[in-house]
Amino acid sequence: MFDVEMTKHLAELSKLTFTEEELKKVTAEMTDIIALMDRVKEIDPALETYALPAVRYDELRRDTARESLDTDKIVKNAKAVKDNAFAVPKVV
Amino acid sequence: MAIKELKQQLLTKKLGAAELCKSYLDKIEKADGEINSFITVCREEAMAAAEAAQAAIDSGSAGALAGIPLSIKDNICTMGVKTTCASKILEDFVPVYNATVMEKLNAAGAVMLGKTNMDEFAMGGSSQTSYFGGVHNPFDTSCVTGGSSGGAAASVAAGFCAAALGSDTGGSVRQPAAFCGVTGLKPTYGAVSRYGLIACASSLDQIGVLGDSAEDTAIVLDVIAGADENDGTTSQKASGNYTSMIGAGIRGKKIGIPKEFFGEGISDEVKEAVMKAARFYEEEGCTLVDVSMPSLKYAVSAYYLISSAEAASNLSRYDGIKYGYRTDYAESYQELIKKTRSEGFGDEVKRRILLGNYALCSGYYDAYYNNASRIRKKIIGEYAEIFEKCDVILTPTAPTTAYKIGQQENDPVKMYLADICTVTVNIAGLPAISTPCGYDAAGMPIGMSLVGKAFCESEIIGMCDAYEKAFKRQEVKR
Repeated sequence: MFDVEMTKHLAELSKLTFTEEELKKVTAEMTDIIALMDRVKEIDPALETYALPAVRYDELRRDTARESLDTDKIVKNAKAVKDNAFAVPKVV
Repeated sequence: MAIKELKQQLLTKKLGAAELCKSYLDKIEKADGEINSFITVCREEAMAAAEAAQAAIDSGSAGALAGIPLSIKDNICTMGVKTTCASKILEDFVPVYNATVMEKLNAAGAVMLGKTNMDEFAMGGSSQTSYFGGVHNPFDTSCVTGGSSGGAAASVAAGFCAAALGSDTGGSVRQPAAFCGVTGLKPTYGAVSRYGLIACASSLDQIGVLGDSAEDTAIVLDVIAGADENDGTTSQKASGNYTSMIGAGIRGKKIGIPKEFFGEGISDEVKEAVMKAARFYEEEGCTLVDVSMPSLKYAVSAYYLISSAEAASNLSRYDGIKYGYRTDYAESYQELIKKTRSEGFGDEVKRRILLGNYALCSGYYDAYYNNASRIRKKIIGEYAEIFEKCDVILTPTAPTTAYKIGQQENDPVKMYLADICTVTVNIAGLPAISTPCGYDAAGMPIGMSLVGKAFCESEIIGMCDAYEKAFKRQEVKR
């Protein structure tokens, strides 16, 4: 059963917030979506799951140091920068 | 004009690269107002690239796409050029590196005209969820283009570029190609590097090509395909030489017709047009083989669970700290992230994140994610069985033609179900190509898809080309 409490739980996991009005709308939409997703429960649970192809370590590139991107360029896309580092609200 | 002809005219100096580039840019400036296929037009950069291409042509060192003007979907990183994913959260993001496909296109002398509009984060089948406004179908501007590469498809259909790069996670190259009456090629998973493609669902995403013909898409694929040390999922099996089967003859080919793709929900006009194409192949000496994919009824649900689970994880990187939109004020670190994401993402993206976390969260993982994964394995097995009986598979690309803007984009379940014809190809990682095969009563294009075995792009390109040479395509009247 998908309800407003479940939407609140998922919003917390998803780092999203909704107003009370939005919560009702999203819960109604998600209820319909989950009903569609429920079709997968008809599959035989004894069947094997798909496994991504194993990583071929011999085909990977050598683990050697390469030149990094310039810090100046990287922080250019950030909205708050202090001392050439990303700035965030005080954590502790 | 076909890319082959453009190349010929450029190399023989009947056409100048700058002159060609300017003519496309002027056309975009004049006519894209009512289509909205571009988010960013790079006039200065494009003219500079065209002049560099001309210099290479003049010095006899022209690359494979020297001077050919292309559009690039706005989820492919372009160094120094804004890459937004059609989202508020990346509204002003300027990549500091190029995607591998861009490095390859640049090395081949291609000219990027601009970045095309799309569904936000490639999540959608209408190209109406863009933060920058929806895209309008050049055949009828009151209709959707399909999506998520709707801007790419519209840019080709409207004649704004010679070809376009898009991306395809569940049909996002093929379905808009069908809706806009152009050709769309989704290569095998691993044929083209995803390095620099902003991730939606990593095990399903693949960069593809949209163009006026199968041959045009093959010419561009030749440049962008191949193994890449920056993407461990690329394969050495991506062989290149994708035009090799063009004109090679199709007699004797076995074409699988899976009955489930012609069932309930597929419009009669679409079924009839695709079956007419099947009869064309029969007349050309191919054999039609009845095949079956019993698990198709589970495909949409399995696809949305897997893709949303991957997307929820991939999109967790958008926090307002490193790049992109950041909320005006937050008292704490957690509040900053939540407010940024809530203000920065659109409704469909939020629904997918919620669905993905639902599929992955404790108590639901086995019932949803694991069952979707079981279905994925079953569909791969069913494709393998089908390919024991035939060389390629023929299906409709979409259940309907392009519908009116506003008709169904606000109904998520209806939108998801409309992906029924395309998602299994991504689930199984196979190549497929969509090409127009008819027009409905309103004159909107109908698309058919040819699906091939993994890394057999050349075969479906050859089969598609044979059909295209016999089919009279209608051009956009503009």
